[in-house]
Amino acid sequence: MIAVSALGAAAIGATLALFFVANARLKSANTASARSATVSAAAFDVRAAVVSIDVALQQVVEEYNSKNLAQWRHASRSWEAPAAALERAASASNDQQERRAHALRSEIRSYIDDYGEPVVGIAKVSPAAVRSSVAHTEGTLRLDQIVTDTDSVARNSAVIAADRSAAAGRLADQATIAGIVALVLTPVLLILLGLWLARVVADPLRQTVTAASEVAAGNFDVRLNEGRRDEFGELARVFNTMTESLAVSRSELIERADSLERSERHKSELISMVSHEVRTPLASVLGFTRLLLERDLPEEDRRRYLGIVDAEATRLAALVSDFLDARLIEEGRFSLRREPFDLRSLVREQAEVTLGHDENHELELELPDEPLQIDGDRARLAQVVGNVLSNAVKYSPEGGTITVGAAEDQGHARVWIADEGTGIPPEHRGQLFQPFYRGDAAAAGIPGTGLGLAVSRRIVEAHEGRIGFDPLDRGTCFWFDLPLEAAAANGRR
Amino acid sequence: MAARTLRPLILICDDELPLRELVKAVLGDRYRYVEAEDVEQAQEVLKESKPEAIVLDVMLPGKSGLEFLSELRAKRRNKEIPVVVVSAWQSADDQRTALSAGADAFVGKPFDPKDLASVIEALIAA
Repeated sequence: MIAVSALGAAAIGATLALFFVANARLKSANTASARSATVSAAAFDVRAAVVSIDVALQQVVEEYNSKNLAQWRHASRSWEAPAAALERAASASNDQQERRAHALRSEIRSYIDDYGEPVVGIAKVSPAAVRSSVAHTEGTLRLDQIVTDTDSVARNSAVIAADRSAAAGRLADQATIAGIVALVLTPVLLILLGLWLARVVADPLRQTVTAASEVAAGNFDVRLNEGRRDEFGELARVFNTMTESLAVSRSELIERADSLERSERHKSELISMVSHEVRTPLASVLGFTRLLLERDLPEEDRRRYLGIVDAEATRLAALVSDFLDARLIEEGRFSLRREPFDLRSLVREQAEVTLGHDENHELELELPDEPLQIDGDRARLAQVVGNVLSNAVKYSPEGGTITVGAAEDQGHARVWIADEGTGIPPEHRGQLFQPFYRGDAAAAGIPGTGLGLAVSRRIVEAHEGRIGFDPLDRGTCFWFDLPLEAAAANGRR
Repeated sequence: MAARTLRPLILICDDELPLRELVKAVLGDRYRYVEAEDVEQAQEVLKESKPEAIVLDVMLPGKSGLEFLSELRAKRRNKEIPVVVVSAWQSADDQRTALSAGADAFVGKPFDPKDLASVIEALIAA
């Protein structure tokens, strides 16, 4: 942009400079011309004075008398003023002219002193002798030379003036051509400048406006070209940084909204699950109570129905306390009652409680011969095994084998429970231990609170253990590790 | 009335024993009952007998009660048997889903014994 502007300015400046120079030259040519006229006039005066000297000398030679002598004296002095004037005028032209004018003065003086005065002296004593041809010829020659030199000074002056005038004329012609060129070039340059401005300023501006509109419409993938090294390049970089951070903020907001939505969904699923779990025993309690109140029943039926009401009310109470307990554990508000015991017996017990009456599932127990002595809260760990086992049952509705095992593994006791059930889809694996997370279970109509695994993890971690799972070709294998009693005792020492 | 030697047969499909007991107690000995704990058992029952009505729970282990109902309505055999869906899931949505799956009536848990009795009577009389 600057380069093109500078080029235009330089072209116009050069044209103007040319005009100024041409004008100065013309002035100088005028001055030279005026000087040449002065020189010519002075040369004319000198020539007239020289002619007067010659005439006066001829008269003295013709007739030597006092009148002619006085004429001669006057003429031989009156040339000096015009000669000096010529020399002054010529010196203004150049050194050569000055030298010529000076030489002319010497020539005239020499003519008077070396020829005129001797001729006058001789004419006084022998007028016939000076009329001889030799002397006459010498005088004529000298005079001719003076006249020629005088003319030469005048001519030279005229030549110099003519030269200057011609040079000034040429320059003026060039200036005129340059002016015409500038006149044609300036609008062309202006048009080019306009086009260039449009490309350099308007195009990126339009691109920026388009990109900003895209961003306003929610497309954060637009990027401006950062390649330019001017203010637009900088604008593009700032714009792109802004767009990137907008995109990041938006995805964070979406992520947060999604997570809030997920947790809201979990909560509402939990509420409906709890109300379902509560309603089922409540239906028995209310139904039988109403029957007992409204109908006259035989004693045998009355007792049986009251037994069912009692059992269902107890189940209801257990459900509520389980749920509260789960919440407390999940929030970390619980303490362990540690005691040393053999993990094998706990695993065997839980497997039999859960699967003893299950005709749908096959139980396979894999327990070592040596005891797995650990130091832990037996009731809480029974809860963990129970939770994982009941999941294994719930999530393998088609039945199959449930393998329950325990073994020593590098200073730890490992317990595993593998089912041949539906397995866990990859998208749910990351959140399995999150409280209230139930994956697709609610949609599939599988009961539960989504607290079992979250609670189990809390309990295992409180025992300095780890819990996890491995997907199997068919089903899932959940496991947890607990420090063996010896290792736990060492760890505490 | 005396000519009616055989009392109507009702299939109760619910995994909760107390609930099955409750339905039987509510409806009394005017009916005969056959019980199923899940869909599989219910299908077995239908192979051997033709109940006059079905009392169906929704949340069953394995296949859900509504899946069973849809399949029943799609078959040629037994498609006319009236079905009462009894469920603890009883929002407006749940009721609509049950009815669109082919239920003739919906009773929420807990229920008033009189309501269930009158619904069954009405369905069998029709």
